Amino acid sequence: MTSTETGRPERTAEITEKGPAERGEREDEVVLGISPAFCSFFTKTISNIPLAEVLREVMAGVEEQGVSLRIVRVKDSSDLAKIAHRAARLSGSGIGVGILSRGTSMIHQKDLAKLSNLELFPQAPLLTPETFRAIGSNAAQYAKGESPAPVPVQNDFMARPRYQAKAALLHLKETEMIEPDGGIVELDVSIRRAGS
Amino acid sequence: MTSTDRPAQNRRSTRTEIIEARPIQLDGFVEEWPEVGMIAMESPYDPEPSIRVEDGVIVEMDGRERSDFDFLDQFIADHAIDISAAEEAMALDAQEIAARVVDPRVPRQDILHLTRGLTPAKLLDVVESMNVVEIMMAMQKMRARRTPANQAHSTSARDNPVQVAADAAEAALRGFAELETTLGIVRYAPLVAIALQVGGQTGRGGVITQCALEEATELELGMRGITAYAETISVYGTESVFVDGDDTPWSKAFLASAYASRGIKMRFTSGTGSEVQMGNAEGKSMLYLEIRCIQVAKGAGVQGLQNGSISCIGVPGAVPSGIRAVAAENLVASMLDLECASGNDQSFSHSPMRRTARTMPQLLPGTDFVVSGYSGVPNADNMFAGSNWDPEDYDDWNTIQRDLKVDGGLRHVAEKEVLAVRGKAIRALQAVFAGLDLPPITDEEVDAGIYAHGSEELPERDVLEDLKAAKGVMDRGITGLDLVAALEKGGFRDVAENLLHVLRQRVSGDLLQTSAILDGDFSVRSAINDANDYAGPGTGYRPSGERWEEMKRLRHVLSASNPEQEVE
Amino acid sequence: MASGAPRLVVGVDIGNSTTEACCARVDDDGGLEYLGSGLAPTTGIKGTPDNAEGVRKAAGQALADGGCRWPEVDLVLTNEATPVISGLAMETITETVVTESTMIGHDPRTPGGSGIGVGTTVALADLADRAAGEDVLVVVPAAEDFEDVAEALVAAAHRGVGVRGAILGGDDAVLVANRLEETLPIVDEVTLVDEVPLGMLAAVEVAEPGRTIRTLSNSYGIATLFDLDAEQTKMISPVARSLTGNRSAVVVRTPGGDITDRRVPAGSIALRGRASTVSVEVDAGADEIMRALARIRPLVDAEGESGTHVGGMIAGVRDAMSELTGQRPDEVAIEDLLAVDTLVPQEVRGGLAKEVAREDAVLLAAMVRTSRGPMEQVAAEVRRVLAEEAQRVLEVEIGGIEAEMAVGGALTTPGSGEPIVVLDLGGGSTDAAHADDDGEVYSVHVAGAGDLVTTLIDAELGLDDKQVAEEVKRYPLAKVESFFHVRHENGTAQFFTEPLAPELFARVVVLTDEGMHAVPGRHDLATLRHTRREAKRRVFVVNALRALEQIAPGGTLRQIEFVVLLGGSALDFEIPDMIADAVAPHGIVCGTGNVRGSLGPRNAVASGLVAGHARRRRVSGAA
Repeated sequence: MTSTETGRPERTAEITEKGPAERGEREDEVVLGISPAFCSFFTKTISNIPLAEVLREVMAGVEEQGVSLRIVRVKDSSDLAKIAHRAARLSGSGIGVGILSRGTSMIHQKDLAKLSNLELFPQAPLLTPETFRAIGSNAAQYAKGESPAPVPVQNDFMARPRYQAKAALLHLKETEMIEPDGGIVELDVSIRRAGS
Repeated sequence: MTSTDRPAQNRRSTRTEIIEARPIQLDGFVEEWPEVGMIAMESPYDPEPSIRVEDGVIVEMDGRERSDFDFLDQFIADHAIDISAAEEAMALDAQEIAARVVDPRVPRQDILHLTRGLTPAKLLDVVESMNVVEIMMAMQKMRARRTPANQAHSTSARDNPVQVAADAAEAALRGFAELETTLGIVRYAPLVAIALQVGGQTGRGGVITQCALEEATELELGMRGITAYAETISVYGTESVFVDGDDTPWSKAFLASAYASRGIKMRFTSGTGSEVQMGNAEGKSMLYLEIRCIQVAKGAGVQGLQNGSISCIGVPGAVPSGIRAVAAENLVASMLDLECASGNDQSFSHSPMRRTARTMPQLLPGTDFVVSGYSGVPNADNMFAGSNWDPEDYDDWNTIQRDLKVDGGLRHVAEKEVLAVRGKAIRALQAVFAGLDLPPITDEEVDAGIYAHGSEELPERDVLEDLKAAKGVMDRGITGLDLVAALEKGGFRDVAENLLHVLRQRVSGDLLQTSAILDGDFSVRSAINDANDYAGPGTGYRPSGERWEEMKRLRHVLSASNPEQEVE
Repeated sequence: MASGAPRLVVGVDIGNSTTEACCARVDDDGGLEYLGSGLAPTTGIKGTPDNAEGVRKAAGQALADGGCRWPEVDLVLTNEATPVISGLAMETITETVVTESTMIGHDPRTPGGSGIGVGTTVALADLADRAAGEDVLVVVPAAEDFEDVAEALVAAAHRGVGVRGAILGGDDAVLVANRLEETLPIVDEVTLVDEVPLGMLAAVEVAEPGRTIRTLSNSYGIATLFDLDAEQTKMISPVARSLTGNRSAVVVRTPGGDITDRRVPAGSIALRGRASTVSVEVDAGADEIMRALARIRPLVDAEGESGTHVGGMIAGVRDAMSELTGQRPDEVAIEDLLAVDTLVPQEVRGGLAKEVAREDAVLLAAMVRTSRGPMEQVAAEVRRVLAEEAQRVLEVEIGGIEAEMAVGGALTTPGSGEPIVVLDLGGGSTDAAHADDDGEVYSVHVAGAGDLVTTLIDAELGLDDKQVAEEVKRYPLAKVESFFHVRHENGTAQFFTEPLAPELFARVVVLTDEGMHAVPGRHDLATLRHTRREAKRRVFVVNALRALEQIAPGGTLRQIEFVVLLGGSALDFEIPDMIADAVAPHGIVCGTGNVRGSLGPRNAVASGLVAGHARRRRVSGAA
């Protein structure tokens, strides 16, 4: 079976919670922070990319660079900067990635102010699986002390009429899913082909 | 039912396929969700109007005790509502107030006497009782300035000052009364603001300009006279969104008085949908929250407001009755005697029909600035992320004005005049850059700029040099007077004089009056000396005389005397 | 001349890029008091009436600096602004060409696995058809998913197919390698993977991280793998050579496959001296050209062989100069040349993975002195413009030869004395002037200066951005190691209390006057620094020696005692030291000028003009 939006085999993410997330010791790791409803209530981004595919691409981007990845869920916030910054502060390398269910993403570093960032991908509808691979790859390169070229960001002024209200709706829904006392939990993630 | 009647699975009719391919399908629509504020108006969760005054202080408003007020409630209760008018006005039925607002025979002044005593929830009830035609009827009477006007955006995807000057000049020539710019690279601002000013004064003396930036730089450019007014001072309808931006109604009021103290025209900006977009609508409708913004503007003492959802238009545009709510928010601004720059300024729909329909509630009755702004550059160059209208629509706009005999502020201009004024604007800018030791503008740029539609047709500038020079403009303390001197020295005496006239307004302060613009001979036209006097059929502003003759002209009109030719 | 109150004199030096001015009071006995200085960009081409605006600005600044006003000015002196214009041209003279895709020698950032594998190239889609026991290298299109690829490779191996390595289109090598049961060499990011020849014997080699390949970069290694005879080994040797230093490589044995490092026939250049003409092949390299030039000096003109690259190159320079000066191209005489050997990164023709080879190139700087024509016109325009400022006609004189004036200005440097040599390090040319004990001045101009350095840096780093190259030239480098500290190129660390801007993270930066700017691209600090210093050495050090040799009494540097460096490039943070080091073995004291004890290497000519005027007054006053 293939997903109609991406032409790829359909995959599912199997996610189990391992307990409260701790600060990492390894200097060669990136921490990916996902939002409260990512791969739980929500299954795809604003432009219908399956979230399992998003995870798989970020994971692959990091792995190809020979860097390790930990994935955490920030349960008590739907604020991207907060999610990405907390991931960075848990990361042994100081590099974190935050991704909201609708796809909006950010690469962060622990010493930066929360409202700053290394790279921001604000236009969720324009992100593709290739972009998510590149986000993982760049985050891993930052973790290795390299200076990758920033992932090109696209812009489309007609995204507003199409996606502005949907983005607001997705954000409201994600905010509704916040568990104020949920904290940050470390996840075990395995991506499988559907049916296998 | 027989099996042949049952449609085959997945098979669609040719008609559905055609409809599915229409541009409207690219627009996004969502169901209402009133509990979190995803609703335009008429929400069951909006408060009921109420007011209680004790010892000259409002102690209860819209069902909330003073001790429970958030800072918007407090600001509105203490600064926006006229207590002397409140109890009488609040006692009236909302529908009765609405009827008076719509009724042409009730003078505008009488309405203003009522509205200044109304609470946010009451104002909401008043406009909720109107349909969109009544809203337009009301707007026709309540607009502050008798003569409608229009505003243009003049920006460049490459922040190219040459393009900005040329397009600003063309926009001014076509009739826009205000010009606004903003930047991709913020550090470019001084050069682009200079280009906008020089281009504007070349196109038509008396056009006033602004540069949308973070607040400190925007204020400084205004204080130096490089720009003439300001607009992008945003206010929001819930406390949490205000606080996220490190602001309060008082800090905005303080900024407003900084502008006023220097004789600079300014208005606030707000719009439906911004709070729910940020997830902080506190369960109230978009229109209710926007009415709070309008009253904050009123309470801060600014003369006007830009509203009409603005950059959040995709949100009210996606829910039922959203565009009616947008028309209503414009009306409430006018009902509170504020100048209203009524939006229509952001990419709104893929459907040309929907784009047009969205503008009718402002264009038909006329507002102080029907579009704020109309993109004077192709949307790909529009650094406000695209407008509902752009240069490719100029002739559509002119034709709609002529068809319906409504004044949207623009006119048709022959190409040779357009080319002449574009060329002059760039050459004037060339002289200013030379006179101020800024990176030169080449003759090749002049030529390309005259004929260009968008930034990609212009030679690329040396961005690093430009940015260095832009910093120099700020460091060296260059002001509007330096621009006047450079224009004069460069042989552009008429443009220099135009700019000097605009700068004089800083001293006279006449531009601080509500809805002020400068006409062709630099007289201020505002709600004071050009007050709206609409009182029913045959009254108020109607295109006539020279203006109507001008509106009759289009690019291609057959001559009645010789149908083989077109009217020049 | 009537005696009386001291006269207010303004000296103006119109340079190629900047116009400098000073103002001074000169009394009847030639007593001299400098009051102020100014500097403005030169307007228009040096030596044309357009210069007047720049003169107005620079002189205005000098007056303001000295607290004087235009109406007080008695005399304006300008230099004799003979424009020295330089042109640059570059031509690559070698080219690496791969035919029939014999090798893929690029360095992907992240190849997978390690080791060496030999087998027949087979498309992923055909892998299922291969029989057990066959050794294969699998060629994988970019669109394939890494998991599918790994599964297919594992399945084939289970069937007994000898999967020895893989060549991938996408950036997936590590991902695939991590999913295999055994370690295989995998090369990825092969852009034109669809053009890799199939059914051919091939080898893939990947080295461990931090190491380089050992077998495919060795001719005998390839010979061993492919069982080549001596003749064939000779044929394959350029392949091995071109793969040296890579972490990964692929070599395919195709019947007609070849790699050539061919020399592009660049043509010859004819150097005409007063007595004779020498012709030299450009692909012989810069040294050969410069030796030929030294033989026939002084150069009268240079011609490139028509129909060749160098012909086009010289013609281009000549056209550009004729456009600048308004002279006919055939009137433009090239009076000096500087040839510099350089290596520039170029994409390999016939390559499959956007491989880049560093090709030999020659960069030529040519210099032209235009005829001394329109100086009187310049003075007239200056007179007209300054009359507007002073509200009366001002006396404007062409005050003297530039070189002499530069010497005059340089002599105001504390600690200097005649005999003296000045070296003016400009943008287009390097100029030297020598004043002997009697005050007699000789001067020489040689081609090549700051602009040439920028071009070299731009080309060698493959930046294709003059602005960036200019910054790399002008400012020291540092590496941003964290948000709170940078490591300077001299190895010292600097710490910050406020975090640095996010866009600087982990980047090599130039420390400009306006803060740090990231250098685009992947060059490390050491490469950038080496390139910058080499470019400066090959231009400024070479030209300093060349100019000094031409001007030294008897042509020997030992006759020179003092060298004072002037001009914009004398403000550079390392060029003066590099030149001083180079001339030190000849016993020369060399340092940056400090005109009038306070202006550094600036304002020498302007100050010299005024000093010259004061001297003449003293002489005429005495007589």
